[in-house]
Amino acid sequence: MNTLPSPGGAARPAGPVPARAGIGLRFPHHQQVLAGRPDVGWLEVHPENYLGAGPFTEDLDIIRRDYPISLHATGLSLGSADGVDDAHLADIVSLCRRVEPGLISDHLSWSAGGGLHLPDLLPLPYDEETLAVTARNINRVQTALGRSILIENPSTYLAFADSALTEAQFLSELVFATGCGVLLDVNNIAVTGGNLGEAPAHRLELLLDYVPPTAIGEIHLAGHAVQRLDDGVILRIDDHGSPVSPEVWSLFEAAIARLGPRPALIEWDTDIPAFSVLQAEAATAQSILDRLAWRSARAAAG
Amino acid sequence: MPPLAELQHRMARAILGADVGGLPPLAPSPIPAKAAFGVHRNTVLSGLTKALRLTFPTVDALVGEAFFDQAAEAYVADHPPRHARLAVYGEAFPAFLEGYDLAAGLVYLGDVARLDLAIDRALNAPDADVRRHVVIDARVSLALPVSLTVLPLSYPADVIRAALDAGDDEALAAIDLVPQPRFVAVWRVGREAAVLALGQAAGLFLASILTGAATDEALAAAVAAATPPEALRAIQTEVFAARFAQIIQIRHEDTTS
Repeated sequence: MNTLPSPGGAARPAGPVPARAGIGLRFPHHQQVLAGRPDVGWLEVHPENYLGAGPFTEDLDIIRRDYPISLHATGLSLGSADGVDDAHLADIVSLCRRVEPGLISDHLSWSAGGGLHLPDLLPLPYDEETLAVTARNINRVQTALGRSILIENPSTYLAFADSALTEAQFLSELVFATGCGVLLDVNNIAVTGGNLGEAPAHRLELLLDYVPPTAIGEIHLAGHAVQRLDDGVILRIDDHGSPVSPEVWSLFEAAIARLGPRPALIEWDTDIPAFSVLQAEAATAQSILDRLAWRSARAAAG
Repeated sequence: MPPLAELQHRMARAILGADVGGLPPLAPSPIPAKAAFGVHRNTVLSGLTKALRLTFPTVDALVGEAFFDQAAEAYVADHPPRHARLAVYGEAFPAFLEGYDLAAGLVYLGDVARLDLAIDRALNAPDADVRRHVVIDARVSLALPVSLTVLPLSYPADVIRAALDAGDDEALAAIDLVPQPRFVAVWRVGREAAVLALGQAAGLFLASILTGAATDEALAAAVAAATPPEALRAIQTEVFAARFAQIIQIRHEDTTS
């Protein structure tokens, strides 16, 4: 069968995102990846950084030939009552046609309202109105892309008193209403659990109880900052600026033990270290994936 | 609870610093609401400031980190972001700096910001080998990079930037800051941007043809700044022979086919 060439230029993408450890690719590491072709299972980028025609976008045209790519959006504002911005969605669709990513995702959050667009992932009240709004926006994005996307559980610092659903229930409802998948961020589980006074391990269990395992298509791992406020309360900030904490590695292991292997990503966005540091983090994630796969195979073999 | 749209409109303005009131009650939490909103406000402000700093590196180097942060916060209050792409934030920053009270003594800052913005936009355009063709006459066309822009400036922002990049304080201190019209061409070359000062006649000619003017209109603009022979000489040496330009000879059969 003949297929149309991709608008980006030609070469075919490297393929689907495997259930291996991957790394979030940021601008400072482009040259190293292009020059050295380091051994990484796959790469994830923020599409909002590649909507221009500059050298970084041209880099991605080359990198996509050698590495499976995931596009992890931050600006679709899927929870906005004002809807998804037409022009931005068109830009994302155009980039997806160019890159042909293995996965596409964004967050369960909002950024745009009343004509403003804030560069943050803001919290939503989990009620019927928000569910209808978010499902409508996800459906619109999926229709424009012609494929399903993954929705990431957010890091939160506050919760609305009138939320009728838990985050886990809300995500589950979205999966059934739209056919979307879930990107399980175990660092966000730790951050949100800590900030809202819930045990992160329990929060993870709840999410895994409500969301169908087959819907969970990717896992995120990252570090977060810990601040002690004046009254001694601990505030966790999702800054992606440090190694994955032991608690988050434990959550990852618990998630993989229940779900089986999934694509697992190391994210680092603040004080970005040498690529070798990210590779070491990815190697730890891979070793957990390998160990649990081996145990699972042994158990299956009796 | 207010409808979701109203909640989001209020919350967006509250995060940007407005005292809007009427936010819905929060669930009991160990984290005080003020601290929680503080995280969001800091994320938004630091994200926007970082975006501005990346687009305006010469302004940042001139005024220093603390002053830049202060100017950025004031700019965010005046020009809140309206697009999901942070990279396009800051279009109005040059004009804002010209009216910013605390920068009143830095009369050249707006032009320095204009040059930074032009460089940033050139770096986000297709490379120099992607060209548009401007027909000069029946036999000749000029192939120009699509990233090429011509900036009309009042202050020598290009000279200031070069001195800063070179770390040459002596050269920086010696720059003549008396305002006079000048033109600077900016275009992308690989991973860098090229910056080239142009004389009045060449600048007026190139600016005209980049806005789609016909050759005779562009020539008319150029001779406003110089005698016709001087203008033609300047166009020949500073535009047609410039690094950014390629002369394409149009073959007769091409024009008639």
